[in-house]
Amino acid sequence: MRASSSARRAIAPLLAACLCAAALSACGAKQDVVSAPSAKPFTVMLDWFPNADHASLYSAIAHGYFSAVGLDVHPIVPSETAEPLKLLAAGKVDMAISYEPQLLLARDQGLKLVSIGALVQRPLTSIIALPSAHVSRVAQLAGKRVGTAGIAYQAAELHTALRAAGVNPSSVQEANVGFNLVPAMLSGKVAATLGGYWNYEAIQLQQMHRHPVVIPIDKAGVPGYDELVLVVRSEQARTDGVDLRAFLAALTRGERQVRANPAAAAALIAKANPSSEEKLQLASIEATLPATLPSAHTKPFGWQDPSAWAAFGHWMFTQGLIHADPDNAGLPPFTNEFLPGEGI
Amino acid sequence: MRRGMANVAPPLLLALVFLGVWEIYVDIKGVDPLLLPAPHAMFAEIWDNAGLLWSNFAITAKEVVFGLSLALVGGFAMAVAIHLWTPMRRAVYPHTVGSQAIPIAVIAAPLCFWWGFGIFPKLVVIALICFFPVVVTTVDGLAAVDPDQRKLLRTLDASRWQAFRFGELPAALPAALSGARIALAVGVIGAFIAETSTPSTGPYAGLGREITSDLTALQTPRAYAATAVLFVFAIVCFYALTIAERKLSPWSSQRRGEIH
Repeated sequence: MRASSSARRAIAPLLAACLCAAALSACGAKQDVVSAPSAKPFTVMLDWFPNADHASLYSAIAHGYFSAVGLDVHPIVPSETAEPLKLLAAGKVDMAISYEPQLLLARDQGLKLVSIGALVQRPLTSIIALPSAHVSRVAQLAGKRVGTAGIAYQAAELHTALRAAGVNPSSVQEANVGFNLVPAMLSGKVAATLGGYWNYEAIQLQQMHRHPVVIPIDKAGVPGYDELVLVVRSEQARTDGVDLRAFLAALTRGERQVRANPAAAAALIAKANPSSEEKLQLASIEATLPATLPSAHTKPFGWQDPSAWAAFGHWMFTQGLIHADPDNAGLPPFTNEFLPGEGI
Repeated sequence: MRRGMANVAPPLLLALVFLGVWEIYVDIKGVDPLLLPAPHAMFAEIWDNAGLLWSNFAITAKEVVFGLSLALVGGFAMAVAIHLWTPMRRAVYPHTVGSQAIPIAVIAAPLCFWWGFGIFPKLVVIALICFFPVVVTTVDGLAAVDPDQRKLLRTLDASRWQAFRFGELPAALPAALSGARIALAVGVIGAFIAETSTPSTGPYAGLGREITSDLTALQTPRAYAATAVLFVFAIVCFYALTIAERKLSPWSSQRRGEIH
């Protein structure tokens, strides 16, 4: 189809605009990672925007620990929290950072996935309230409204916490506020929320002098679990052991760097996520450090406690969140065999 | 339209009044800045985060321009096919309406599965959101050819192609361009949806990602700053296309009275 000359004149500026836009975007693109040309691409889908929980990963990337073992690690930011396991199962990424409850749900749906290490050893999910709500204990939630992110297992966590405090769950009204946990509290629409993290939302609120009351759910009667786990496909665990072992060894070195120099790690997070505040990331990294190593000091970084996994899996089963108790449902949902010093 | 400067003043004045009322409301009511920041806080964020907003804007602008181009080409081609071939009209037209009801979140995962983590799945999302007004307006425009002109072309023994090229196409262009302008207005929110429903890589992932990240990170004033950038961007695009329209189909301004 030939365009008339006036049309051509008008298309020129449009084309120019396209080119400008393309040029602009090229300015934004930056190659951060320098690695050996032979390194194997290895994509890791995060659970959320890059934040303090991913400090060991970004530290290992920046210090070249992954490239030293032949892995060219690329983090990918998901659009929502259920996406990483789906795309992992589909073979689109090599590893996903997810949550222990989410992994158990995915396995219950038939996805053949397994956790090979824990990034965070206990729940970060917390019940958070602002001073204006006059809630300092779970028992005080009786007859009040609590905001959640609308995730089924978090509702079950709330019920367990309420029962442990002697409150009838039906006396508490739940409101699904999505990701607007903090705004819902600020506007006084809910007395408290369940879903925010003690190492993130709670610290943000503290830094803003809002004096939040923070009750981690494992201190409120919910069995402990590994909030963040490194998940791969079961078939990778059978065939890619060398890469997985190398990954975890490099990540362990990254974790040591974070411990040695939290400020440098915070700077790396701020670089990976320019809209995050370095000060908040540093406070969050420092708060999280005690939860990144297993409580048993003889165990390596990433260790997953079999009895804790069994107890939490059983809790999910009794809550009706999954159809079978993972302890009796064939292969375990996790393995420690790729952790440094744990293999055969 | 032609008296450029005289047309800038009223919207600017209205914006000032709106911002003024907003500022006074927030100050008097003492609204929490995490819930609704004051305009001055929003502008301060634009000033303080110019680099960050610019880097993200560049990404979003590219998505809008290319996503919209995809929608225009695809929508126009579909409209022509629907116009020229009746079975196509019967089979496809209802589905294009239905396609507008598909929540992007539902199809985001397969898009990413097919095309990965780059810009292309985002362009597809934007195109899906934008192509509908282009199809509808173009189909209507193609059907609304002056019957006398059709008769004249037949008298001159024009082929089907010539009738289309010299009769229907020029007649449909103004309508198609109106559709394009509507598409553009939704294209900016389309980019927001695209960015927040597909995974991303790299430190800058567009203003949509910036806004969601800021909202969850309790940096509400910056989310408003990024929103202001999107607001202005949509206006600029809309009028840029209006100017392009006048050059592409100068006859449209005379015909406007008939079409609308």
